Amino acid sequence: MTKLCCLAAVAASMLAGCNVTDDDEKSAQELNVNSRYTVESVNITGQRNVAIPDPLRSELNSFVGTLYDHSALERAADRIKKELRVTDVSIKVARGNEPEQVIVNFEVTRSNEHIFDINVGKFVYDSKEGWSGDGGATMKIRGNALSFGLESNSDTTLERYAGVRARFERKKLGTDRLSVRFDFTSYHDEWNPATLAAAPVSDIYRWRETFSPMATVVIADPLELDFGVSFARFRVPFSTPAQADGQETAAARTESSNAVVSTLRYHQRWGSEHDSQLQELNASYSISSATTLLDTDRNFTRQMARARYKYRHARHTVELGFLTGKISGDAPLYERFVLGDSTTLRGWNKFDLDPLGGSHVVHASVDYAYRIFQVFYDTGAVWDRSPEQRQSVGVGFKKEGFQLAVAFPLRAGRADPIFYAGMNF
Amino acid sequence: MRTIKSWWLVLAFLSGFALAMWAEEVILHWRDNRLEFSAPRVHFLGGKPLELLHNAAPVPFGFQVTLFSGTREHVFHKLTDRFVVSYDLWEEKFRVVKTQSPVRRVEHLSATDAEKWCWDQMAIDVSGVAATEPLWVRMEIRAEDGKDGPLFGRGSVSESGISLTSLIELFSQPPRREQSHWGPFEMGPFTLEELKRSSRRGS
Repeated sequence: MTKLCCLAAVAASMLAGCNVTDDDEKSAQELNVNSRYTVESVNITGQRNVAIPDPLRSELNSFVGTLYDHSALERAADRIKKELRVTDVSIKVARGNEPEQVIVNFEVTRSNEHIFDINVGKFVYDSKEGWSGDGGATMKIRGNALSFGLESNSDTTLERYAGVRARFERKKLGTDRLSVRFDFTSYHDEWNPATLAAAPVSDIYRWRETFSPMATVVIADPLELDFGVSFARFRVPFSTPAQADGQETAAARTESSNAVVSTLRYHQRWGSEHDSQLQELNASYSISSATTLLDTDRNFTRQMARARYKYRHARHTVELGFLTGKISGDAPLYERFVLGDSTTLRGWNKFDLDPLGGSHVVHASVDYAYRIFQVFYDTGAVWDRSPEQRQSVGVGFKKEGFQLAVAFPLRAGRADPIFYAGMNF
Repeated sequence: MRTIKSWWLVLAFLSGFALAMWAEEVILHWRDNRLEFSAPRVHFLGGKPLELLHNAAPVPFGFQVTLFSGTREHVFHKLTDRFVVSYDLWEEKFRVVKTQSPVRRVEHLSATDAEKWCWDQMAIDVSGVAATEPLWVRMEIRAEDGKDGPLFGRGSVSESGISLTSLIELFSQPPRREQSHWGPFEMGPFTLEELKRSSRRGS
């Protein structure tokens, strides 16, 4: 506990120190002899077929006709770098065609499409569940991306799964509107005693593998549809699963869960990180249906809808999240809904809510942040028969993907807080 | 025969003096109890800073001159100043603003004149120094032509996580990112008496 408090204090001070006002830049601009000249035109050069988002193009056009402001142009260069996902943007300025005017060129020098890269996608420390994280390597060759990764996760599912994943992806298949990918995962699983005590023996698998060929079609940007098939196999024992050494016995069999999967996604953003105001909407509806047509041992239909809306004005940010889902049939445990992780009902232990997860879920959250400081409120229920609403609150710090938070379940009696720390959770 | 030898002696002395002058990065002068500096071979308006200046960016330069007296550890005076240089795209001349008090500004300068003007502002008053006291001087220039980014560099942590490439970019940066610097140039020991003599010879 003391260590965590120290960690919190250090991280808070580290994050707080990041917001440095750049007075030097401002004064340097006032001292620039070229600030008396007028911007004649603004262009982006150095990269062919670059699609410039409309808000960015509007910002660049707004420089035309104004007095030269180098600091503002540097901020625009940062925005170009971020939005076009390029490594470097340099500002090139030349005399204009008319006297006392200048032409500004943002020179994009190198694309961010690295042939080989290693990536840490997410890691999170939960004071109840320990560490979860994933990382991998990606190799890109002529529009094809091949990636391999390692993952250990006890955050989002009932079990801790650890193993490997691989993906082959082609972003464009004949047209920009169609992409395909093949995912393979192989995980070994460990279970919480609460789940072992509550689950039927036949539900406790020790490993699982999934192969998913999927395609994505852009219906009307930014509306996309994912569709494909998921072939899953997992090993379940006939006898007791609670073996201390984790070794399987001969009394086990392999079951399959093969499902047709489709997801409708909508992601729209108004403004950018550089604007004083930003809105972002991320919504999806997914359905997976495992039927006997695909020779599956488990028959079920799983539906889930989720939405997240973000509104930022100056240093204030509000995020609203909503999630609902329903499973009918006999779904494997990894498909069941879980609340009480690092993004839902934060502060609750998921095994206290339901050690087997639920077939129904509803959840909503409100996050408010001022600069790096955030507070949040979660409410929701996960159930099979009758819902019971739970609530939690928390505070923390968040900066550039890094987050540190402490959350409390709202309930009568003793309430243990849960600490979260990590990146991109 | 004696005449020829004298000429050789003078020629050798002058050659040696010229070589010594050429080898010196920074030259010291004493005038009216002030120690003045010039550095005709140090062109800080070149390279990356000049490239920035030619693209209409103002480039601040930090100057620091330290005078040691008696021993190399005893700092008699330390002078720091900051000069913001910008290059007029239409006039093709430089403007320099000295930002520390007293604030001064000059413009319509060539690159050489702009550099010289900066050095002229760094003269040190040595009225309290004994004429025979040994002195050392150290000078350094740093251009503020790199930018400090936020935590883990600008935008290196994306929604998909932090990548090796961004980490390599981060850790390959020196403490002050890609900052151009000249020096430190060190001279000494010398005395004011020696400087006064050479100044009289030069005048």
